[in-house]
Amino acid sequence: MRGRPNLYTSYEADGAIFPTATQKVTFWLGVAGMVALPFLGLSRVWLILLATTFVAAIGAIGLNLVTGYAGQISLGHAFFLGVGCYTGAALSGDPGGSVIGMGLDMLIWLPAAGLVAALAGVIVAPVALRLKGLYLALVTLGLVFLGEHIFRNWESLTGGGGVGRKPPVLSLLGWRFDQPGAIAGIEVSKEQQIYLLTFILLLILGFAAKNLARSKVGRAFAAIRDRDIAADVMGVNLTWYKVVAFAVSSFYAGVAGSLYFATTGFVEPASFNLLLSILFIAMVVIGGASSIAGSIMGAAFVTLLPQIIDSTSDFLPLIGDGSAGVLSPAQFERILFGLLIVIFLIFEPLGLYGIWIRVRNYWKAWPFSY
Amino acid sequence: MKTTSIPALLRSIASDEPGRVALREKEFGIWQETTYAGYWELVQVAGMALRALGVEPGDRVAIHSENRLAWVVTDLAAQAIQGVSVGLYPTNPAPEVEYLLGHSEAKVLIAEDQEQVDKALEVKDRLPNLERIIYVEPRGVRTYQDPILMSWDDFLAEGKRLYEAEPDTVTRLMEGIDPESTATIVYTSGTTGPPKGAMLSHNNLLWTADQARQIIAGNNPVARPELLSYLPLCHVFGRLYDILGALAFRATVNFAESIDTLVADLQEVQPTYFPAPPRIWEKMKASVEIRMADATRFKKLVYGLFMKVGHWQADRVIKRGSRGIAGSVAYAVGWIFLYRALKKKLGMGLCKQAVSGAAPIAPELLRFFMAIGVPVYEGWGMTETSALGTVNMPGDVKLGTIGPPLEGVEMKLGDDGEILVRHPGVFKGYFKNPEATASTIDADGWLHTGDVGEWVGKHMRIIDRKKDIIITAGGKNISPSEIENKLKVSPFVKEAMVIGDRRKFVTALIGIEFDTVANWAQRKNITFTTYRDLSEKPEVVDLIKREVDRVNEDFARVEQIKKFRLLPKELDHEQGELTATQKVKRRVLEDMFADLIEEMYR
Repeated sequence: MRGRPNLYTSYEADGAIFPTATQKVTFWLGVAGMVALPFLGLSRVWLILLATTFVAAIGAIGLNLVTGYAGQISLGHAFFLGVGCYTGAALSGDPGGSVIGMGLDMLIWLPAAGLVAALAGVIVAPVALRLKGLYLALVTLGLVFLGEHIFRNWESLTGGGGVGRKPPVLSLLGWRFDQPGAIAGIEVSKEQQIYLLTFILLLILGFAAKNLARSKVGRAFAAIRDRDIAADVMGVNLTWYKVVAFAVSSFYAGVAGSLYFATTGFVEPASFNLLLSILFIAMVVIGGASSIAGSIMGAAFVTLLPQIIDSTSDFLPLIGDGSAGVLSPAQFERILFGLLIVIFLIFEPLGLYGIWIRVRNYWKAWPFSY
Repeated sequence: MKTTSIPALLRSIASDEPGRVALREKEFGIWQETTYAGYWELVQVAGMALRALGVEPGDRVAIHSENRLAWVVTDLAAQAIQGVSVGLYPTNPAPEVEYLLGHSEAKVLIAEDQEQVDKALEVKDRLPNLERIIYVEPRGVRTYQDPILMSWDDFLAEGKRLYEAEPDTVTRLMEGIDPESTATIVYTSGTTGPPKGAMLSHNNLLWTADQARQIIAGNNPVARPELLSYLPLCHVFGRLYDILGALAFRATVNFAESIDTLVADLQEVQPTYFPAPPRIWEKMKASVEIRMADATRFKKLVYGLFMKVGHWQADRVIKRGSRGIAGSVAYAVGWIFLYRALKKKLGMGLCKQAVSGAAPIAPELLRFFMAIGVPVYEGWGMTETSALGTVNMPGDVKLGTIGPPLEGVEMKLGDDGEILVRHPGVFKGYFKNPEATASTIDADGWLHTGDVGEWVGKHMRIIDRKKDIIITAGGKNISPSEIENKLKVSPFVKEAMVIGDRRKFVTALIGIEFDTVANWAQRKNITFTTYRDLSEKPEVVDLIKREVDRVNEDFARVEQIKKFRLLPKELDHEQGELTATQKVKRRVLEDMFADLIEEMYR
C-alpha cells in the first residue's frame, strides 16, 4: 500500500518485482540511461563489448536458474552454449555454402537455437534425477568433453577446428541489424543496433527469468535446492521440476550462444570447453547465486575485466605480451578469476549481489544493527 | 435524521462511502479487507442470526475473544438489535468466565477458539441463561458433540438467509433504539473484589465517539486514517479507538495478529493514531535501548548525539509550546539521520498523534518519545466515564499531568482531594449493583473517581488512587505509583510495587524484565536457567540496586526506597496476581510475598 510498503493486501503485491514506486522509477530511469548510452559517443569496441556483456548475462541467468535457484550444479553450460551457437548458425547460414545452412530469418533461428539447446537439456536432465552434487558436476563435465569432440569434428556443421564458419545473420523480417540504417530518421551504426538488440533481449529474458523465479516454479526450484527430500514430501514433483530447470537453463544458454556468435562474428569450435563453463560459473558465483540482478553484475564483471586489464596492462608491472612481462594479460586474467572465485566463495558466498545486500541492510537496519 | 446509536453511525458511512475499507484481518500473511458496506451487511446478518437465537431487546451477548472481525461485528450487531454486548478478556480463567457470564446473564456467547470454548463448557452447567456458544475458529472444536455449540460460519449462514428474507428488520430495530438504554456492559477489572459491570448507554458512546473525532482526528486530520487494533476491545481504551473513534473519523482498523506480533504488525500498519498503556511505551523504549547496545560504534555515536539533540528540542517544546526556529532545524537534521528511521522501526513513522492512558506514565518516557518526534500525549479516563476525561493537547502539554478537562467535562476536587467529574459520558450505573452505583455517582451527578489529584494551572495532576496512597509510620503521605513508574522506566524493571503503609520506611518488590535482563546477563557472561535463577543472581540484584539508587535521587529522603526484594516469579493474570489489564493486585501480592516483605522490615 502507498506509504506503507509492508502492508500487503494481496499476494500480487507481496511478490511484486518492484515493491515501491521509487524502485520502479529508478529501474526504468536506469534502462533509459542504458538505451541512451550508445548515442553518447562510445567507441565501436566498447559497444560490441557491452553487447557481449548483455549476451553473457543472458547465459549467466540461464546457469543461475539451474545452479543458483534449483541447486543443480552444472559444469555443462559450455555444451549448451555450443549447441545453440551452431543451431543458430546452421539455420541462418547460406544454403549454398560449404557448411550446413538453411537461410532462415532470425525470427526462426533465435528461438530455435534456444529450443534445440533446451531439448539437449531435457535429454541430460534425467541424469540429474539420479545424481546430486559432485557426481552431477562430473557427469555434466563429461558432457563438455563430448561436445567439444563433436564440435571439432563435425566439419559440415562447425567448419572444423581452426577453420570455423560464418556467424548467423542478424536479419529480422528483412531488417538487417548488422548493416547501418536509420530508425525513425536517426542514423544508427551496426554496433549501435547490435547493442540495442542485445540489450532489449536481455531485458525481456531477464524479466522472464525473474517472473519464473517468483512464481510457483521458482519456489519449487528453491525447495529442491534447499532440501530435495523435504521438497518431495511437500508434493514438489522432483522429476518434472528438474527437467524444467535444465530445459529453461539450456534455452537461455542456447539463445546466448547463438547471439554470442552473431555479436562477435567469430567462434572457434574448440572454445566451448571447460574454461568457458568455468567462466560462467564465475559469473554466477561472483555476481551472486539465485539472483537475476547478480547474474547481470557477474557477467559484466567477468566480461569487462579482461578489457580493463588489457587497457591497463601497460601500467601494471610484470604483465604484458612477449618480453614485456612475466605473465600475459590472458594468463593474469585466468589467475585473477581463479583467485576471485576462491575469495568470493570463502568471504562472500552471495557474490557482488551479496555485497550490495550487506550495504543495503546496513542502512535498512539503521539506526540498529539488526 | 439524528444518529441515535453507534451502529447507525456505521450505516451512514456505509451509504456515504460504501467502498471505503473498514477492516483488515491478516490471513496467511495477507491483510484481507472488508469495506464499510460489507461491514454493515455483516452487522445486519449477525444481528438477524442473534435474533434467531432468541436475543430480545435488553438481552446480553457476551464476546470472549482476541480482537478480530467477529468481535466488532458481534458488538455492533448486538447493539443494533437493541441488545447489550459484554466483552470478556481472553486471559480470563474459567472461574472468572463463570462469574462474568453468570452475572451478566448472557444468552449467547461468542467464543474465539477451543481454549475459550473449553472454559465455557467447563462452567456451562451453572449458567442457566446461556443458550448458545458460537465458536469462531473451528480448529479442535469440530469434533465436539455438545448441542450448545454452533460455528461462526453456520451462524452467519443462518443470519444471511434471514437477512435476505427480511432485509429491513435490523434497521427498523436500530431506529427504535432508546438512546438512554444500555448499549454495552464493560466489566472493570478491579484490583479489589469481583469485577463490576459498568452500563454505558448509547448516548454515552455517541458522546465519546464525537469527542474522539474532535480530539484525535480533529487536530491532525488525515484522508485515510489507519488504526492498529491490539488493545483488548473489552476495555474502554481499546473501544475508544477501534470501534467508536474508527467510526467517528472513518478509519481503517487493522487487527493485530496477537500481542506477541505487535512489533511486526506496527511496522506493517504504521498507524495514524495510536493508543497505548505505559507498559507498551516502556517496552518500546527498552527495545530501542537493547538494540542500540548491540549496534556498531558508529551507529551508537549517531544515536547518542541525536538523542541529546532530541531531548534538547523536546525540552523547548515542553517549556515554550513550540520548537522555535533553532529547534526545528535541529529536529530536521536529526530526522534525516535518526528519527525517521527509528520511528519507522517502531511503527510510528506515520503516527500523527499517540495517547498514553489506562495507567499513569513516567514523564521520562514521554520525553523520550517527544525527543524522537513521536507526539505522545498523556490522557485520563475510566470505564465509568466512557474512557474520556482529560488529555494533553498539542501545543499545551504539561509533563506529569493528565491535561486539562475536555470540552463539556466538568471537573472539580472533593474535600479530600478526590477528583469528581460530570459529563455526558458518565455511565448509567453498575449492572445489578445499586449500592456501588450510589457510592460512585452522587445525587448531583458527580462521579467519584477514586483518584486523588491536584490542579497545575488548568491541567490536572494525579497523585494516586485514593486507596493506594501510603501513609508512613512517620505520617508522611507518599504516592507509590509515582515511584513505581520511575522504576519501570528502566528497561530491566517490569513490575514494581512500593510498600510502606504504616511502616517505618519505604520498600519495594521488583519484578525483572526477563528478556532484557537475560540479554544483559548474556553479554556479561552470566549463566542462568530460569526466571527465578536469574533474579537471584547477585549481579542482577546489583543491577537493579543501581536502578533503584538512580530513582531514589529524584525523591525526598522519606520517599526513598531503603530496601527491595526481587520477585521470584513472573506475575500472571491466570494466577490472579495481575488484573486482566496487567495491573498488580496489591492485596494478593502482599499476602503472597508476606515473608519477603516482613524480611525487609526485620
